[in-house]
Amino acid sequence: MQEYKRIDITKDEIVPIAERMRKKEIILVMIHGFLDKDGNPDVSYEYAVDTVLESYHVVGETVLPSISEIYDVAAEWPERELNELYGWTFEGLDVSKRLFLPYDLLEDEGKGQIMVKPLSELRKLNGTEKEERK
Amino acid sequence: MSYVVPIGPYHPALEEPIHATLYTEGEVIKDAEVFVGYNHRGIEKLCTERNAIQTLVLVERVCGICSHSHALTYAMCVEAINKTEVPKRGQYIRVITAELERLHSHMLWMGIACHIIGHDSMFMHIWDERELIMDLLERLSGNRVNYAMVTIGGSRRDIDDDLRRDMLKGCEALKTPLNKIIDIVLNDKTIAMRTKNVGVLKHEDAVRLGAIGPHARASGVKTDVRKDAPYSSYEDFEFDIPVCQNGDVFDRVVVRALECVESIKIIEQALDNLPEGPINNGNKLPKIQEGIAVCRHEAPRGQLSHMVVGNGKLENFRVSVHVPSFKNTPTIPHMLRGNTVADAGLIIASIDPCFSCLDR
Repeated sequence: MQEYKRIDITKDEIVPIAERMRKKEIILVMIHGFLDKDGNPDVSYEYAVDTVLESYHVVGETVLPSISEIYDVAAEWPERELNELYGWTFEGLDVSKRLFLPYDLLEDEGKGQIMVKPLSELRKLNGTEKEERK
Repeated sequence: MSYVVPIGPYHPALEEPIHATLYTEGEVIKDAEVFVGYNHRGIEKLCTERNAIQTLVLVERVCGICSHSHALTYAMCVEAINKTEVPKRGQYIRVITAELERLHSHMLWMGIACHIIGHDSMFMHIWDERELIMDLLERLSGNRVNYAMVTIGGSRRDIDDDLRRDMLKGCEALKTPLNKIIDIVLNDKTIAMRTKNVGVLKHEDAVRLGAIGPHARASGVKTDVRKDAPYSSYEDFEFDIPVCQNGDVFDRVVVRALECVESIKIIEQALDNLPEGPINNGNKLPKIQEGIAVCRHEAPRGQLSHMVVGNGKLENFRVSVHVPSFKNTPTIPHMLRGNTVADAGLIIASIDPCFSCLDR
């Protein structure tokens, strides 16, 4: 059976843990991220240690050290995904080029651009358009 | 003379969107970059507005080929959060569907690989035999693609005695053509000339870059979630993990061809020892309890992982889907270096990429 083990860590421990895992040739399954109930960023580093999936959670940090030098592209792509889609910073990660989003996306003073407008805003937009037509 | 050659965003053979920029010196590729993200459909966002059963239907449509893998992994996550026991018979039926899916996926890819290298008669031959598997899947689930065999807490359709007999007969009928295909793949001069020493990924590079699935096994990395961390009763079955050493395109074809044989072994064992009992825990709509789970499944292309976060409501709080192509696609630039432009299409296709999975 697969087991899941949650371990809470601080952001200083990310790199030493990654180095330790790399030495043992343990696979980095994924770097997941989400905003928890209170809106805090929760980034988790999942390593497959035998049948147990050890999940190291860092809660409440938007600036994290990058482990892409240790795990190469296996860490680089998940980090770039989180960087592009959530806007969290990974120190030491090369973000000069885009991977998932179009190149011109962050030209707007680094604020980003919302690709899919919320329905409420679209309705508002639609309403104003109608008024203009009148 | 150096040129920049763009390929895509429409891959010539796979009909899937990936953009590769090749920096060439004459005919030889010096460096390469890949760019994905053309197929983003916001599946993860849509999942947060749906309950568990609706999400099963949705994640099945992430990918057309490994649809059962997504549904199975998502169901495993919800069951892990809710601590639901799955009946043994339900687990076996899940395994049978998963292995049939692996068979048809590998044969589809082998066919396409032969098509790319210009061996079209082999392409038609392999796809012809693949129809036998598609017929079995259709007989089992009623569908040729999105099988809808999984529900939270078990399987949706049972295997009765007639079907079991038919499926065993189908597996038997598959063996001869499959052995013939493997024989041709191993010995045919055309395939060997076009694929040997092309797109090499050495063992240490595969470990360093974190390749997984058949792609890593072709480079000598013995990794398989079915053996490393068994789930859904995979520990009950005896099967081998084929591993090759050279890490070129030829080995990737061979690994997948040999895996087909192992899959048939698993299906036959599962059908022979199908346990009695219920197939699921009833059709009640489950709430997703407060908690977090990450489950892994060996999809046809490698390790597939889902993360599900629940907060005690019917809807998911967060679903995250990460597919094997997400790990294998970053190895493409490394493999392309030193090869010719003519082989670029084949090398990109050789990881069996699935970009609808990757972009979600």
